[in-house]
Amino acid sequence: MATNTTTVSGPGNGADTTGPTGTVPGPPARQSGAGAWHRYASALRRPRGAAGAGLLALLILAAVLAPILFPNGYDDQSSGALAGPSAGHWLGTDELGRDILARTVFGLRTDISLLLTAVPLSAAIGTLMGLAGVITRWLGTGMQRLLDIILGFPGLILGMTIVLVVGTGWLALFLSILVVGLPMFGRQARAGLLVEQEREYVLAARVLGVRKRTVMVRHVLPNIVDPIVVNASVFMVVAIFIEAGLSIVGLGIEPPVPSLGAMLNTGARYVEVHPAYIIGPGLVLLLLALGFTLLSDALNKAVLKR
Amino acid sequence: MIRFLLRRVPSILLVIVATSVIAFLLPRLAPGDAAAAAAGPEATTEQIEAIRVEMGLDRPLVEQYVGWVGGLLTGDLGQSLQFNRPVSELIGDRIGSTLELTIAAMLILTVVGIGVGIFGGSARSRLSRLTSDATNTLLLATPPFLAGLLLIIVLGVAFPVLPISGEVAVLDDPMIGLQYLLLPAVALAVPMSAGVARLVQSSMHNVWQQDFVDLAVAKGVPRRRINIRHVVRNSLGPAVVALGMRFGDMLAGAVVIEMIFARNGIGQLAVTGVQNADYNLVQVIIVGAVLIAVLMQLMTEIALAGLDPRVRLGA
Repeated sequence: MATNTTTVSGPGNGADTTGPTGTVPGPPARQSGAGAWHRYASALRRPRGAAGAGLLALLILAAVLAPILFPNGYDDQSSGALAGPSAGHWLGTDELGRDILARTVFGLRTDISLLLTAVPLSAAIGTLMGLAGVITRWLGTGMQRLLDIILGFPGLILGMTIVLVVGTGWLALFLSILVVGLPMFGRQARAGLLVEQEREYVLAARVLGVRKRTVMVRHVLPNIVDPIVVNASVFMVVAIFIEAGLSIVGLGIEPPVPSLGAMLNTGARYVEVHPAYIIGPGLVLLLLALGFTLLSDALNKAVLKR
Repeated sequence: MIRFLLRRVPSILLVIVATSVIAFLLPRLAPGDAAAAAAGPEATTEQIEAIRVEMGLDRPLVEQYVGWVGGLLTGDLGQSLQFNRPVSELIGDRIGSTLELTIAAMLILTVVGIGVGIFGGSARSRLSRLTSDATNTLLLATPPFLAGLLLIIVLGVAFPVLPISGEVAVLDDPMIGLQYLLLPAVALAVPMSAGVARLVQSSMHNVWQQDFVDLAVAKGVPRRRINIRHVVRNSLGPAVVALGMRFGDMLAGAVVIEMIFARNGIGQLAVTGVQNADYNLVQVIIVGAVLIAVLMQLMTEIALAGLDPRVRLGA
């Protein structure tokens, strides 16, 4: 267990990319703790990972700084409606005279806040559902059948069903992303569990008298975390598409709050008179999805395929 | 093969039955009163009650559900609350448009996805590999509606060569109809093709690593012949799966694409149904969409089982 845990225990952030043991690229032992940080950091050393992480860092920074960058907020209607790009409004103004660039950045804020809450929660709940078989066997299979049912729904149709129940708004988008992700994480966790359960170390721990649940939480869970992290980064892109898809058909967040999809929805109506309207939010949406695509590629290669 | 199919039946039935319960029950648990909505804003309490009885909403939920499923099985899909017309008529009027779109998009998806995948998988030069990788990555990050909006800006507004809104049935007027169909179908299919292409490409790379390919190389079989006769053929299984699994997503994508290109299909019907709390309409569309998606998954499995005996005989 204690092989290389002493040197890098504290920060583990992107600063120490060279690593203390610069000779071996990626330690062969699949363990939790410091080893995990090395593996994730090695994803950032790949060109795709660096590009994706850089892109995402920029976008998140812009979203966080939105109130400082645009002190007038997203709902300032003091300018003429549907104006083209100008020095005051780089991307022009929308149908109510609001600055499109400001609304795009605040929309990005909405999207990122959705993603960073709904996706991790989906991963956590989905994983727990996948591991439910540890408690009793029938609970495990029951959960899998439940996930099968969810999987039967195409993502957007599931989203529309949820809108039908809770009405349009932030909550519906949040729940849609959460529920759509469950089968992916749940199946992944169960597959991992079934493989790991047969390993010798589990048997060894059981023979030593460690309780079954302790073995699962302390030893099996850390070993299936990697695919879940990779899946979460893949699912980010799906989640972006769900938000935008529901918003673009008019089932998204309530105005006047902007989201990237909601802006595309209204922008699409003015595409012939004001094409610049959808270029801003469209491009930002593309960059956000691209960032996560690149990052998930790099994570996949660095963490799983070794 | 029959044994394989029989093994799949229970779980598929479970999914379909559960979906029908969910589609029926969830909207009815939501706040809001369908009878009041159907009666209109100026209806009196007595009128609302009369409509409630007429729609059968006063009966117990179980009775309503059994009645609804019984209707579905005998071809009676119920009455739309907002249009006051049979759901079957509403769907019948619009299914043609959606079918046109999904079939055209599926064709494009198959050709482009497999074509680009084979190109990427056979590419030897670093440049063509990089190009296909970069294109794939970019397309993976592009949702269909964004592709649609870009196509509208470029080919509809900047260089107006194709119509961007509305539709003409292909069966009525093939030339004009195809013009209206082209942009939405491309927008729907091309971004999805990246996923398929990527799968084909990576499975081709895997097949190239295998021993029988080494044997063929050692025997002196030309590379091109190995690629076409052996590698491509062995890589199409995953592609079939990828295509079948994406059919459900394609239906969902069609909803959005129909809105953007103002096509009068099932997607638009579903969205107005959700906006106006028209349960009777939406529950049929939900069950229909899930049914189609699940059946496509089953057909995929059948195709795969036909291609690969290990799937047929395995667990």
